[in-house]
Amino acid sequence: MNAASTPMNGPPPIAVRGLRKVFRQTTTGQSVVAIDRLDLNIAPREVVAIVGQTGCGKSTFFDMMIGLETPTEGSIHIGDKTPYADFDHFRGKIATVFQQDRLLPWRSALDNAKLPLELIGLPEDVQRERALTWLNRLGLGNFTNAYPHELSGGMRQRVAIARAFSVQPDIMLADEAFGHLDEVTAAELRDTFLALARESGSTAILITHQLEEAIGVGDRIVVFGKSAKLLADIHVAQWPKSQYAVLREAIQFTLQNNVPDPRLAQG
Amino acid sequence: MSHEELHGSIPASYPALTFPRQTFVSLLAFAAVWEILSHLAPVLGIPPFAIPSLVRIAKSIATITPIDIAVTLARVMAALVASFVLGLALAMAMYRSEPLEKYLHPLIRILMAVPVVSWILFAVLWFPGVEFRIGFVLFVVCGPVFLVDALDAMRSVPRELRHMIQSFRPTGLQFFLKLMLPAIVPTIFTSWKVNISLAIRVVTIAELVGAVTGIGHQLSVAQELFSVADVFAWTIVLVALLFLLEAIVAQIEARLLRWRP
Repeated sequence: MNAASTPMNGPPPIAVRGLRKVFRQTTTGQSVVAIDRLDLNIAPREVVAIVGQTGCGKSTFFDMMIGLETPTEGSIHIGDKTPYADFDHFRGKIATVFQQDRLLPWRSALDNAKLPLELIGLPEDVQRERALTWLNRLGLGNFTNAYPHELSGGMRQRVAIARAFSVQPDIMLADEAFGHLDEVTAAELRDTFLALARESGSTAILITHQLEEAIGVGDRIVVFGKSAKLLADIHVAQWPKSQYAVLREAIQFTLQNNVPDPRLAQG
Repeated sequence: MSHEELHGSIPASYPALTFPRQTFVSLLAFAAVWEILSHLAPVLGIPPFAIPSLVRIAKSIATITPIDIAVTLARVMAALVASFVLGLALAMAMYRSEPLEKYLHPLIRILMAVPVVSWILFAVLWFPGVEFRIGFVLFVVCGPVFLVDALDAMRSVPRELRHMIQSFRPTGLQFFLKLMLPAIVPTIFTSWKVNISLAIRVVTIAELVGAVTGIGHQLSVAQELFSVADVFAWTIVLVALLFLLEAIVAQIEARLLRWRP
């Protein structure tokens, strides 16, 4: 393991307790329950895939994890801190790869990869060295001075991954990070992302709506029903590879019917 | 990964200041018509001083005092810089504070609706110092343009980019320095171009009232002397000054926005 890319004291555990989020619609004034009493534990260095249909509260959960939303009730604790109330504490400790690359168009690949390092105030030479290291690892060593519009979609997403890993985060979040890419590029980037996450010792949480992706990457698959109701918590290692087709069908059934498939009990 | 994957290339150079042939021809044609009219003026019943010959205008241009150009330019630039800094600062504060935005927005709309002449009269009635009067008028005319443009541009920064940078947990200052300011640079340049044009016109009117230096004052003197040639000469200077400032802004814009496809 590369010491330079390992979180210093290891990532803290994540504990979600009775999490509830209610939004009030501005047009109708009606309340919408996005997350309803969610309980979830994620151990340090686990790779967890969260799957669910559109509107099941995955993104709301994601926004609370990155500190952009606060719960209506309940809590998310990362160690003994909460990501929304202890906003500054998690600077440099949580990083995100989004569905779109979200690169700043006026910055080169190198400067985009440096962005989070600038925010945590590292010396300029350290920023540059670390950003270059990650761009090289992502195969972009020859494109460090290219602007985003000069890169292909896959290359831009690689820069976004380099940007996220450059802070050496305790927790790495990926929100449908590979869904918009072609299958070959997505598979390649997914593998790279996972290898780097495991090597760096980060806890990784991937939100996806693609079952194949969830089964392929996660130590665990957490299945969200409507209002982020926890329908299933699957430890993938307990399923032999020969049973993956059954697993996929069972998750599919669970998502479609919003009730856990009995076959998932075997895990 | 190969260079073929690149979708474009960075322009190797910035656009040079150009003076197209068509512009030259049209100016030459205008000058020729003017010269003919100046000779035909007596025949047409027009007083000779109303359409001076090009030679007479050239003589007026030769007598132009650079100090007046410098004074007007200094007034314009000082007022624009002050308007820009305060307009941008207020736009940032209004972006951060919804209540502040709600209270100030109507006042700014009213400021923008007040005619320049009214501001000049207010300035004359309120303030004794000529420089302060001119600065005040330029500031109240140009400041709101910078403010409103900057605020609109900040609101237009994509939510995706705002969320991205917020996910890395910047301080309030970092949020503006790393995202908002670079994102609104194209709009800032547009505001500068609009305001340079506005300021050049407004400063001339403001200098007509009470100033003893500057291009506006010289225009006032020319008017008192019934010297169309002098008015023409100073007007040429004003237009040239405006074009020069716009060209400088365009050069800086091309350099700073070289990242654009």
